[in-house]
Amino acid sequence: MLFNTVHFFLFLAAALALFYLSPRALRKYILLGASYFFYGTWNYKFIPLLLTLTAIDYTAGIWLEKFPPGPRKRAVLILSLSANLAFLGFFKYYNFLAANLALLLGRPANSFFRDIVLPLGISFHTFQSMSYVVDIYRGQQTAVRNPVDYALYICFFPQLVAGPIVRARNFFRDLFHWQPPSAADVSRGLFLLVLGLAKKMAFADQFAKVANAYFANVPGNPGMLTAWSGVCAFGLQIYFDFSGYTDMAIGMAKLLGFHFPVNFRRPYLAQSITDFWRRWHISLSSWLRDYLYIPLGGSRRGRWMTYRNLILTMLLGGLWHGANWNFLIWGGYHGVLLSTERLFRGQRPVDGGWSLLYPLKALLTFVLVMIGWVFFRAANFAQSAQILSQMFSGRLGPMLLQPWHIELALVSLVLAVGEEMGDWSERLIAAPAPVYVLAMALMLFGIEIFGAIDASIPFIYFQF
Amino acid sequence: MKLLGKERWALAPQRRRAVAVASVIACIGVFALDALLFRTDFYPSILDPDSSSGLFELILRREQNAQARGGANLVVTLGNSRFAYSVKVLDQRGLDQPYRLRDAGIAGSDPRIWYYMLRDLDPTRRRYRAVVMAMDDYDDEDRAYNPANEIKDLHYVIVRLGLSDAYTFARSFEQKQLQWQALRGAILKGIVFQEDIRAFLAQPLHRIEYVKLCNRDYPSWAYDYQETTRSMVGLKIDWSTLKVTFPPGADDGQRATVNSFLAHPVEPQTGSLAAFRRTWLGRIIDLYRGSDTRIVFIQLPRGPIPRPDGLSLKLSSSIRELASRPNVALVDEHAFDALERPELFRDGMHLNREGIERFSVMLAQEIDKLLGPPEQTKAAR
Repeated sequence: MLFNTVHFFLFLAAALALFYLSPRALRKYILLGASYFFYGTWNYKFIPLLLTLTAIDYTAGIWLEKFPPGPRKRAVLILSLSANLAFLGFFKYYNFLAANLALLLGRPANSFFRDIVLPLGISFHTFQSMSYVVDIYRGQQTAVRNPVDYALYICFFPQLVAGPIVRARNFFRDLFHWQPPSAADVSRGLFLLVLGLAKKMAFADQFAKVANAYFANVPGNPGMLTAWSGVCAFGLQIYFDFSGYTDMAIGMAKLLGFHFPVNFRRPYLAQSITDFWRRWHISLSSWLRDYLYIPLGGSRRGRWMTYRNLILTMLLGGLWHGANWNFLIWGGYHGVLLSTERLFRGQRPVDGGWSLLYPLKALLTFVLVMIGWVFFRAANFAQSAQILSQMFSGRLGPMLLQPWHIELALVSLVLAVGEEMGDWSERLIAAPAPVYVLAMALMLFGIEIFGAIDASIPFIYFQF
Repeated sequence: MKLLGKERWALAPQRRRAVAVASVIACIGVFALDALLFRTDFYPSILDPDSSSGLFELILRREQNAQARGGANLVVTLGNSRFAYSVKVLDQRGLDQPYRLRDAGIAGSDPRIWYYMLRDLDPTRRRYRAVVMAMDDYDDEDRAYNPANEIKDLHYVIVRLGLSDAYTFARSFEQKQLQWQALRGAILKGIVFQEDIRAFLAQPLHRIEYVKLCNRDYPSWAYDYQETTRSMVGLKIDWSTLKVTFPPGADDGQRATVNSFLAHPVEPQTGSLAAFRRTWLGRIIDLYRGSDTRIVFIQLPRGPIPRPDGLSLKLSSSIRELASRPNVALVDEHAFDALERPELFRDGMHLNREGIERFSVMLAQEIDKLLGPPEQTKAAR
């Protein structure tokens, strides 16, 4: 059940109606039931897996709180993390490891293959689970006593499949101190829901058609301009797709009285790669920072260790996206870029303000990010190499983006700059009713005339 | 936890109502914007003339303009690309001829499209002496496709669809998915115009210039058009095996039309064509019920080599059934048999220049014969 389908909106309407019309004592059970129903519509066979992981981490949380610091407590933590990583590893990385093992042994790549279906959202909910147990281990979080509360944290349908990765303390703060959404929350929730849908259908899916056609036939689309337009199409697709999904998730949560963190802050206006990662998939990058980079030592152990930690964190961040050498290269590429920036920047803070050089820096960052997307999107390393060679040599070739694609991109650039400078979306949400209504109507109208209505292009991050 | 507690709604009832009203108004706003752009002349006037919708509107406008200067004895004809006759040849007959033929047909069109064309072309039902509709065959032979499920019809008639048409039009499709697509498009027309809007945004000035050019010159392009002189001489079909011997140098188009229109295997006869014809031709006849305008059907020349009658079992003849209704007439189904020769066709289904010239004269004679002199026609009714 994709977020951009009529079925989903019917489900959402039913869930909201049931939630608010039912007695208060039943509401979280309604949410839990709706969440499992949502998960089950994709593949009900994985519900036992979700329940098993939920049970393990729920129990681990209670034991971690019960045991004093020491080997037993550490053992529980290791057990819980191992269980999560084992599930994640089996479903996500088994075939990758099996193929590489087979190659090492000189056997055909599919010698040890298994027909494994990746459970929906496993990368996201295992990261949530792990952050929960680690936080309890660190004493930053209290264990949840009611299994229903914990189960809801893991499978809450707005963010179950593709985040944002919500920290336990934020989720349980909203759950335990639940307040009905204010008028501003409802306005914001509806606005984000429509904005996200517009980003997905009118922008992401239109760029997806270009990107999918290009990446499906790279040899048949030679040329420098062709390659850049195909790659930029994907860069725009993934941004609008993922940030659109996130907006919808945040909007839905607001309508239910929950407050999710911001996950994107106009990443293509970043002035550096460091700045980019403070704006792109913020819930993942902050997770990686808190549970990987800082435990590895962060920047506390000298320059070279900082570079190592950055590269290692980004490598694992890349691998989190999928079992593929290309994701590893993509992560490594960003790790190297972050380290290089760190090398030149030293201890100076990251640029954040406006300056004359801003457009140049933003353009350079955009180009570097686009180069990275080649590895992210290409089917394998050979295709990545072919695209990169096309991007930097040879004849120009045709432009894959149509003029109206460029117009869409320019409109979004203007809106992004406006948002960066004046926070127009917040102003619109708080604006007098006629302005708010007009903005909503224009967004819906944008979906009507630009939305890829029957394309059924899944959200990219649903596969992770 | 407070979720289970006795918390009160933070939204005051008025504020809650305000948010709900705002959301509803926003949705209504979308319909308003859609109506403002697509239910007025604003966007339809700049539709791509080469698109289905643009072509439909161009022809409709051309024929509306022709009504004023066409005199009292106009006959409008409707058909698809196979119904090609030469207006020039007909005009050469002189101004003293009783009827002046106008062509409101569109390539690829069907009775569902003709219905919406006629409804808006002749709102008073008094502008034409007759409506002539060209059929491939008076008998109903189902083919590989079901005409009821031709979603392209939505694109042809989209400008003409009012909100009150949405349900009926959508229901005329048999597949649920197409019904939904048609209903959605008829209500929110912007969805149907998406491709046209994108093309417009790509080159807005070029579009505006092209629309102006077409509005000015399309009537002469259409009415002065000269068909190719190519022919199908040398075409042979073995009907027992459906093996085709093509003329030397036959191109892909000629081969494709012979294979799809003539040498195709017999399809299961489901009655879908008959149902479609009864519905839409029936509606056209109903449109003119009580009017002085006569409804005339003709059967077009069936091809360079017609399919033998016994090849498939035709279960019904909806056209003959409809002819029993008042004010409806059939031209003799064999009236144009003499044209069913390879030298008069440019491919497997379309007449060539010579075929068109002969057909034009024969068509005019048949219509004159059927309708009689204008005065008599009126008196007879």
